[in-house]
Amino acid sequence: MLDINNVTVGFGGTPVLAEVSLLAREGRWMLVCGAAGSGKSTLMMTAAGVIPRLITAAPFSGAVSLSGKPLSGLSNDDLFTRVGIVMQNVEDQMWDLGVEDLIAMALENRGRPKAEIRERLETIIRQFRIERLAGRRVLSLSGGERRMVAIAAALAAEPEVLVLDEPTTGLDPEARQRLVSILSGLRGKVPMLLVSEQDPASVAEIADEVALLKKGGLTPPVPLPSVFEQAVPWLEAGILPPTRRASPQPSTTEAGGEVLAVRGLKTKLRRPDGTPVLSDASLTIRGGETVALVGRNGAGKTTLFQSILGLAKIEAGSISIGGDYADDWTPARRARSIAYLPQNMRRILFNMTVREEVMFAITAGKPEGKGDGPKADEALARYGLTDLAEANPFALSARQQAVLGLACAEAAGSLVAILDEPLLARDLNGRRLLEQFRDRAIAEGRAILLITHDLELADDIASRALLLDEGAIAYEGPTRALWTSGAYGKLGWPGPRAIVEGEGNYARP
Amino acid sequence: MRVHDVNFFVKLAGALALTIAAWIFTDWRYGLPLTLITLLALWLAKVPGLRGYLKGASLLVLLVVASWVLNLLIQGETPRDALAIATGMALRLVTTTAAFFFVMETSTPGAILAAATAARLPPSVTLVLSLTFGIIPMLRDDFERIADAQRARGMEIDDVGFFTRLRFALARGVPLLVQGVRMAHSISLSLSISGYDMRRRRTTWRNVGLMVEPRLPLVKGFSND
Repeated sequence: MLDINNVTVGFGGTPVLAEVSLLAREGRWMLVCGAAGSGKSTLMMTAAGVIPRLITAAPFSGAVSLSGKPLSGLSNDDLFTRVGIVMQNVEDQMWDLGVEDLIAMALENRGRPKAEIRERLETIIRQFRIERLAGRRVLSLSGGERRMVAIAAALAAEPEVLVLDEPTTGLDPEARQRLVSILSGLRGKVPMLLVSEQDPASVAEIADEVALLKKGGLTPPVPLPSVFEQAVPWLEAGILPPTRRASPQPSTTEAGGEVLAVRGLKTKLRRPDGTPVLSDASLTIRGGETVALVGRNGAGKTTLFQSILGLAKIEAGSISIGGDYADDWTPARRARSIAYLPQNMRRILFNMTVREEVMFAITAGKPEGKGDGPKADEALARYGLTDLAEANPFALSARQQAVLGLACAEAAGSLVAILDEPLLARDLNGRRLLEQFRDRAIAEGRAILLITHDLELADDIASRALLLDEGAIAYEGPTRALWTSGAYGKLGWPGPRAIVEGEGNYARP
Repeated sequence: MRVHDVNFFVKLAGALALTIAAWIFTDWRYGLPLTLITLLALWLAKVPGLRGYLKGASLLVLLVVASWVLNLLIQGETPRDALAIATGMALRLVTTTAAFFFVMETSTPGAILAAATAARLPPSVTLVLSLTFGIIPMLRDDFERIADAQRARGMEIDDVGFFTRLRFALARGVPLLVQGVRMAHSISLSLSISGYDMRRRRTTWRNVGLMVEPRLPLVKGFSND
């Protein structure tokens, strides 16, 4: 068994987890849920021995033991042979290796015979149905594909304990189902599984017990079915309950003028089989709209926005922004009208303080105007970042960086904000900030393009949806009609979880 | 067969041989064909980033020729001799850098790890080799990613003059440094949790000979275990 006993973990003197205890027993797979920023990742890394072995924490107290032996007494090799981990941000444990290299790494490093490694590689690649990724470099994969490869790599060495931090993040519904089915098949082979998620429903099939993280503390584990349909425990933990209640219809504010139009987009970037990633993509977004863009992992969603911003070369097609022909605009000129917020905000942060990031969003590197400072301060205050104004953006948590992204996009007043898999969507506070951002955008006649695999989120907040499939927009229309459309049916995905009728919206605590 | 898949050590030996040849035959009349053949080979091999390399190499040639000609003229050489010596020097540098550019751009860290493992080199040497040759393209990619991030945030770095562009490029130094530290951290974390041990000989899944197998051929039927 994995015994986390009275553990306190913090960084820079501030505790993230306070006197947390958790017992993961063999055969009882454990789910830990909590809002973004509640300490799930810290707990997962502590359970796997990454903290304090590889990442120093201060303060750190308490003990973690595996089958009665303290992790601190195990050698690196013994520890990471017995415990496998996939972090929330998989890029933190990847570098420029090939897919097979990454999956085989743990076996190669332990000197296993070549024939055995090849056999295991082939088995696991087929099991994960990632044959089409063989031979590719991991850093060239989409976010969801990377995560599947990282999980495959963690499983390759058959650890006793598998720790997965938000494993379904960035996975499309089919990949999520596939992952859950693979994990289900590992019962008996992986004695202990510890999973953290913001969305309990996505891994409900495989979790036996659940513990909720709130304010640095952990509730005692209870059988998942006993709380699954209740609302209060989840709301108290600051996350949306897994059973959906009716949410307000997405805004139907009359859409304004065209703010972004893409016609017949064909990219130069091609797939390994030679076909363009986007062959004929067309879409229109109007002011005051929130539009969801859904599609399989690797469908070309990232390439689509890169093409819109002029960061990916196009072979044919045209783009207009704010009604103006923008094909000959530089990427920077386009970006002054289109704000892009990736899930991993670290990719686009480069200033030295939080305030400078917001100022940059307003000035785009030009000299500061008279009203710019107060505007930046106002945006920081609106998103609760005033106290962090002088902090380095890289020192913020992923959640705080996501909030900073919203503050930047709002301060910039861009015509369109592209939100790529927002981290904030599943916790109550994050959803409130997201809705605040949307409401202000709608009120000011701006638009939001929400790229997501979270069908419930799309259903809740987007008035219109686009489906990207086979290099083109296969559906463009009202969100709620998407789920019954032929294009969606072709994906073979389930629709968003059904709404429990008659119980109204959740009260925010 | 792709030239990219040639064993890293064969490529390295080829680059060394080419460099030695360039520095033995110093006269520009030998140097020019050697440089042209090297560049032609890079073009035929479709080495990624060749256009960027050629821009850098052109700048290198200009700087070397200008500074050497000036220096040699001051030392009393005739303009004709000064130009011949300077051109020979620039060509040697282009041949050398082009040869190692080829090795770096066509050798992935995974392929280098495999070649070094198959050569039964100590794990420490294996790691140093794959990081030395693998990290430069990774840092270059990050440099481009940061530039794209600046563009995606609205910073005009394309439609500006040379000196402004240079200033913006230098300003990428700090985020690149931060990214470099993060990258080192990720590599170290990845190696630790996958059990990389300097004292233990590792193996490789790849078949390694004159060529290094680029991908696993999937041959057996579907397995669901």
